[in-house]
Amino acid sequence: MRSRLGLISAFRWLVLAGCSAPALWLAWQWFFGDLGAVPGEAVVHFTGMTGLTLLLVTIAVSPAYRVTGWVGFMAARRQIGLWAFFWLVAHMLAWMGLDQYWDWPWIRREMIELPYIRYGVAALLLLVPLAITSFRRVQQAMGYRAWHWLHRLIYVSAALGVTHLWVLTRADYLVPSILAAVLAGLTVFRLVDAMRHRQ
Amino acid sequence: MARYRYPRIPESEVTPRELFESRRRLLRGGLALGAAAVAPGLLWSREAQAWQGLLEERLAVELPSRELADGESLTSPRDITTYNNFYEFGTGKRDPEVYGHRLVTDPWSLAIEGEVEKAGSFALEDVLAGQALEERIYRHRCVEAWSKVIPWVGFPLADLLKRHGPTSRAKYVVFESIHDPDNLRGQRRSIIDWPYREALRIDEAMHPLTLLAVGLYGEVMPNQSGAPIRLVVPWKYGFKSIKSIVRIALVEERPTTSWHARNPEEYGFYANVNPGVDHPRWSQARERRIGESGRRETLMFNGYADEVAHLYAGMDLDRHY
Repeated sequence: MRSRLGLISAFRWLVLAGCSAPALWLAWQWFFGDLGAVPGEAVVHFTGMTGLTLLLVTIAVSPAYRVTGWVGFMAARRQIGLWAFFWLVAHMLAWMGLDQYWDWPWIRREMIELPYIRYGVAALLLLVPLAITSFRRVQQAMGYRAWHWLHRLIYVSAALGVTHLWVLTRADYLVPSILAAVLAGLTVFRLVDAMRHRQ
Repeated sequence: MARYRYPRIPESEVTPRELFESRRRLLRGGLALGAAAVAPGLLWSREAQAWQGLLEERLAVELPSRELADGESLTSPRDITTYNNFYEFGTGKRDPEVYGHRLVTDPWSLAIEGEVEKAGSFALEDVLAGQALEERIYRHRCVEAWSKVIPWVGFPLADLLKRHGPTSRAKYVVFESIHDPDNLRGQRRSIIDWPYREALRIDEAMHPLTLLAVGLYGEVMPNQSGAPIRLVVPWKYGFKSIKSIVRIALVEERPTTSWHARNPEEYGFYANVNPGVDHPRWSQARERRIGESGRRETLMFNGYADEVAHLYAGMDLDRHY
């Protein structure tokens, strides 16, 4: 029992390290001027890719638990989800500050006019209630059923996130295709799993 | 005949020039000492080539002054050569710099075909022989809404075309880039229907602003920027300025061009810089000048309206984007 809890605790530390390490890497690159000719753009791309990847990892936690039966995955799910939210908030702030230079009229205009910005904003807004209700007390107050229903929004948010990336891509759809395939696979797994349990 | 005076970029487009000045001193010192023979190119290294040695000597002799007005802003050589699109090397902005060394530029020949009196395949050294070179500092505006100011070295495309005698049926000029998937990793994926193709209307091609460039910052063109010879059409989006050209054909019918074929809604044949016509997915009203913070307003025809607007008189530029 003790060693099992130790393993779970170690896994949670590992998740903490894994989700924060990209920030250290980014800070290092920024400090030494290794982010290329347009560092702001590099930060926007990096934070966005990290956030979207972690969002898909969050969705993959429950299937990983179903397949392996190891509860450690579930113990780390909230943490991974909150890290995804953190990275996507950083992504939006980086876009506003380092790409748009806090030019509010233009930020407003791009949010209204550009479809890919709209998808991105929608994806992030949908995550806000999930982040707020991720604490145990709120979860208990809501009741597990309601909480569970609400948190299915992560699928919608991830789909909007992948769409956001897809639409802004100019020609090379390799990465967005991979992310879309992963999301589709995870969604199918979830649906099949839910149907099996209903029977 | 008076030498064509291309429009200088005004002083309002200012960034510090200390970097450029110090680099220029370094460059001149290096060339004066004959260091170029030992380490060809101070900005980028390349192996010695048949045409390269000749070109290096000439760049040192034929470019006595840079004709820069005070306060003109050049994008740094580093930014020019480490952030650009050259999908033959990959779709990342740094891919051209990282994989550019795989481009084989020696020997290089240029096929000139179609509606010309003197067609054939010509070694690059023969193309350059007797051709005066000059430096032109041009704005460069990418369709992705970023821009640079680049000191090219080259000669008017018109000089070459005239030498080959276009016939009366020559209405368009087609350009084709090198196709070498063994060395150009980007060509192993069909992101574009390789080889890359671009084209100009004959009057655009003959315009004195239209350049065939063989150098950058007073040195031989680096691979990642389109060595050994590339097109520069400063009033059009960058993708029109095709790199590493192996074939030029004069034709009667308007040809299909690479980006236009890939997505005609997004990339027109003309692709003139126009802040009033947005790309379907993003705005073209502003641009990010590489090396600066904030955004600049994009200028009609990239600031070359006085020189080129007459080419499109009477045309609906919203439709012929």
